[in-house]
Amino acid sequence: MDEPGNQRGYFAQHINSIREYNRIAGIAEIARRYMAMNAFDGILTIIGVLMGNYLAGVRDAGIVIHTGIATSIAMGVSGFWGAYLTEAAERRRDLVELERILLTDLGQTKIGRASRVAVIIVTLVDGLAPVLAALIVLAPLFAARLVGNVLVSYVLSLAVALLGLFGLGAFLGRISGRNLLGYGLRTVVAGLVAIALSFLLEGVGL
Amino acid sequence: MGNLRRLVLDVLKPLDPNIVELVLFLADLEGVDGVNISINEIDRRVENVKITIEGHDLNYQNIVQTIQEHGGSIHSIDEVAAGKMLIEDVATSQD
Repeated sequence: MDEPGNQRGYFAQHINSIREYNRIAGIAEIARRYMAMNAFDGILTIIGVLMGNYLAGVRDAGIVIHTGIATSIAMGVSGFWGAYLTEAAERRRDLVELERILLTDLGQTKIGRASRVAVIIVTLVDGLAPVLAALIVLAPLFAARLVGNVLVSYVLSLAVALLGLFGLGAFLGRISGRNLLGYGLRTVVAGLVAIALSFLLEGVGL
Repeated sequence: MGNLRRLVLDVLKPLDPNIVELVLFLADLEGVDGVNISINEIDRRVENVKITIEGHDLNYQNIVQTIQEHGGSIHSIDEVAAGKMLIEDVATSQD
């Protein structure tokens, strides 16, 4: 009879547990770091894909989308694998050290569970951040038919990429409590450098 | 069987969860009227604490489980009191 209330209680309990695990294992901080770092990587990699296709004379949005998606999948897999292996190893080492000091098995305690939840969350964030960032940048190419001109889609995708980079920079600026605009512009410069270097390489005949 | 009224434990626990969180978890247990945790020694990753719990009917198993669930390791039971009333340790001439 009181099913919605029970469900709310169940979810509230889970949210409280995750909050507690976060406090014990510092999940939010490391996930935030991975998110910013990998979304940044994802956007810059897709800028590379866009510039490579554009300079190679590809004017078929389908090819760019396929290349972009394949690249994002590879980035996602790399993120999942890399984060899982490194995070699991680090957390395990940390737990074993604490177990050695306490002379007890922490596997079934809140500390052990917090450690395992941290590995799962960080792995998901690390794998999904570059994929999502890359797909957002590719959005104007998905809408190439609506846009009508693939060159406009290229420009729009690059604009979305630069906007994404600015957003990431501003996010980092907010975390550090520093100037949002300054941080935003610094990350945008990274994107502009990647674009400029692609043009330069084209200029020297590579 | 008589009811457990006071328990004093020597516990080694990780710094996280901290003693504020642990004291609240212990205070929420059934039969507990009050809890005190004091620090004996702090190390880089762990701390040695004295946990004093008083109540009208303490459940020893639940208390141990709560402490262990939060990573604590009980080193010794330093004092216990049970019965209809709380009896303090009495000083004798030999002391």
